[in-house]
Amino acid sequence: MDMNEIKEIFFQECEEQLAELESGLLRLNDGDRDPETVNAVFRAVHSIKGGAGAFGLDDLVSFAHVFETTLDCVRSNKLEPNQDVLKVMLKSADVLADLTNVARDGGSVDQARSAQLIRELEALAKGEAPPAAAPVAATPKVVAAPAAPAPVVSDDGFVPVAFSFDDFGDDDVSADLPAYDVVFKPKSELYTKGNEATLLLRDLSRLGEMSIHCNMDSLPPLDQMDPEAAYFSWKVSIKTDKGEDAVRSVFEFAEWDCDLEVTAQESGDVAEATGDDLPMQPVPFDLSALDDELDAPLGVVEEEEQIAAVQEAVAAAEAASNVVQMAASASRGAASDKGAAAAAAQNNAQQASAAAPTIRVDLDRVDRLINLVGELVINQAMLSQSVIENDSNGVSSINMGLEELQQLTREIQDSVMAIRAQPVKPVFQRMARTVREIADITGKSVRLVTEGENTEVDKTVIDKLAEPLTHMIRNAVDHGLEMPEKRIAAGKNAEGTVKLTAKHRSGRIVIELSDDGAGINREKVRQKAIDNDLIAADANLSDEEIDNLIFHAGFSTADKVSDLSGRGVGMDVVKRSIQALGGRINISSKPGHGSVFTMSLPLTLAVLDGMVVTVAGQTLVVPLTAIVETLQPDAAAIHSFGATQRLISIRNSFCPLVDVGRILNFRATQANPVEGVALLVESEGGGQRALMVDAIQGQRQVVIKSLEANYTHVPGIAAATILGDGRVALILDVDAVVSASRGQSLHTETSLAAAG
Amino acid sequence: MAAKKAARKSLSLAPVLDLNEANALHGKLMALRGNPLAIDASAVERVGALCVQVLMAGAKSWEEDNQSFTFAKVSDAFTKTTQLIGVNIDHLMAKEI
Repeated sequence: MDMNEIKEIFFQECEEQLAELESGLLRLNDGDRDPETVNAVFRAVHSIKGGAGAFGLDDLVSFAHVFETTLDCVRSNKLEPNQDVLKVMLKSADVLADLTNVARDGGSVDQARSAQLIRELEALAKGEAPPAAAPVAATPKVVAAPAAPAPVVSDDGFVPVAFSFDDFGDDDVSADLPAYDVVFKPKSELYTKGNEATLLLRDLSRLGEMSIHCNMDSLPPLDQMDPEAAYFSWKVSIKTDKGEDAVRSVFEFAEWDCDLEVTAQESGDVAEATGDDLPMQPVPFDLSALDDELDAPLGVVEEEEQIAAVQEAVAAAEAASNVVQMAASASRGAASDKGAAAAAAQNNAQQASAAAPTIRVDLDRVDRLINLVGELVINQAMLSQSVIENDSNGVSSINMGLEELQQLTREIQDSVMAIRAQPVKPVFQRMARTVREIADITGKSVRLVTEGENTEVDKTVIDKLAEPLTHMIRNAVDHGLEMPEKRIAAGKNAEGTVKLTAKHRSGRIVIELSDDGAGINREKVRQKAIDNDLIAADANLSDEEIDNLIFHAGFSTADKVSDLSGRGVGMDVVKRSIQALGGRINISSKPGHGSVFTMSLPLTLAVLDGMVVTVAGQTLVVPLTAIVETLQPDAAAIHSFGATQRLISIRNSFCPLVDVGRILNFRATQANPVEGVALLVESEGGGQRALMVDAIQGQRQVVIKSLEANYTHVPGIAAATILGDGRVALILDVDAVVSASRGQSLHTETSLAAAG
Repeated sequence: MAAKKAARKSLSLAPVLDLNEANALHGKLMALRGNPLAIDASAVERVGALCVQVLMAGAKSWEEDNQSFTFAKVSDAFTKTTQLIGVNIDHLMAKEI
């Protein structure tokens, strides 16, 4: 493993930890006071700090450290996690995420913001902490042992590598170095988790000149003792120039399982300060022989003595990533068996992690596999077609085999697609942050409720979902929700609620965003639309049509253009990105009760269910999701309208007829509607149009091939696919064709191409 | 060294005295209760605090029983570790070796 790979793993783990952190904080925000939740939050920050230290990410470490200190106050019940405290914490989590991103991708963070938060955090830590713990860094980290196991040492022989060891080597310890008293009392959990007091003491001894006294007073006679319980405790006095933090960091990964007190001695004189009542045994500094013997059977990664600093960091990183994993699995395990013996919890943790073993795979590899499976599907279709063409006997055994092959390929395709499926949780969690930030700027009090975060959808859909969702959330908070005073006046809770839900519905994912705000002000929207010449002043629009006006370009009802929204780019962009994903968006609003936006998206962008049609001798594919119904037009139902336009009457309502062949320039003259088939499609703005095609060949699942990537963008065409006979068929961009029929040129239409 | 006679038992310690070994060691010592005991720690490569606890508890109990409890042979690692964690076994070392 080279350094970069390990760093990459660290950042991946960081992401998981940040998610854990955020959901923990949100649970606390909801009033959850379970110590395990606090511990999970603490562990997340702690693990990030540990890993970051190993890579020398100082900004991250210093921020995480302050954050951790404040969390520690919460954990030790010195600080009540009320709403104000959690607000600061949630913001800190955001900054921590920013810092992590900066550490990975470069760039810069808002220094002022993090400095401000550091001050706030420190104030919180100090404000409620007892005066004894005045220096923030010195807040004792003595806490009750959590039920869940801390990072475990034994499995892989990882020793808590204190990253402050870098400068180990200049070991000429002089007599006037600052001295510290360390009282270290392991709990039984320390041992049951595979940690080892001797190793901790060995690490401690490396920091400097150390004297030790082992307190055996509590050791019972042999027949009354529990061989796996902790009886020994140690009082150590150590002279080191590495500082108190270095001393503490030795016990970093064991601190939940021991009582630890580190105090600086006033004078540098160790022997007198401690030697009067306790016989201290000086520890020889030369422990190299011991190291070798201790290290070898353990298979410990660290070998600072011989290896350069880089490799040391490597070991530390591996350790760090282990910590992260263990902590994650620990929290999973602990959830199911709270308060049980530590050993039992550890078992649970192992079972939990054993139940769902996962691997990390490069997305490129999955994409390549998906692409190949797509080719396989096409190839299979071609093969079966040629067999059918050459098979004069009708049914043959080859046909049967081909059918089985078809089933298999379909199954392979589904399974491969499932690999790419990811829960929408990360996107939803990002939204939580957006809500917080906007609530902050607007001065509104908002609560984001999420549901169905574990609903799975293709990775590409998730990636492209974030932007429109952010837009919509901004709108919901900025425009949708009222100011707290107004809400109270309207008899609502001062705190507005924005609800984000995801669910599967008939092969698609449905994402719903609702707020309990004022709803759409239809009068205002209508007036605005008239002002902007979007509709005629006397146009008679239904409520639904008015609501849909907000999806028009250049539309904003906000009185003032704010930082957040109201610049007129917003909902039209949202709609366009949703449609680019092959999705639909709907709005329903109730004045005084809020609005609900419903998005329905395909689960994947790699395949598409389409209707294969013929237009002027060309084969086209129309996405099935766009089609509402198909019909055979009657001559009587066709009405001319103006010079070139025609309407079709369907169940007593008129619908514009769109001649696809004419718009795509497949033919020069208008086709006769009676000879063709009309596909009723839902188009932009909610209106229906009848697309006229010559004939329907059938329904088929097609593998989308990007036209842009392989050729160039073609107006009115979203993508291409390869049919069973080996011919390329174009996938129709329904919305582009419909707007072209309204007189707008196809060429100015921006690409709505589906990704291939 | 009156107690060190025919009844004297000896116990060889396993190379790795970790968490897993603590119970076993405890059991072995319990079985040897009441007899003078010489412990051979020459094969020990790694010893954890738990096993040291068991051994020290044994030494205490043997003392109560007025039986001898000595370390006949010790490995370097064993000595170093006990030194490191501040457990003095000098008085338990067999003098005649």
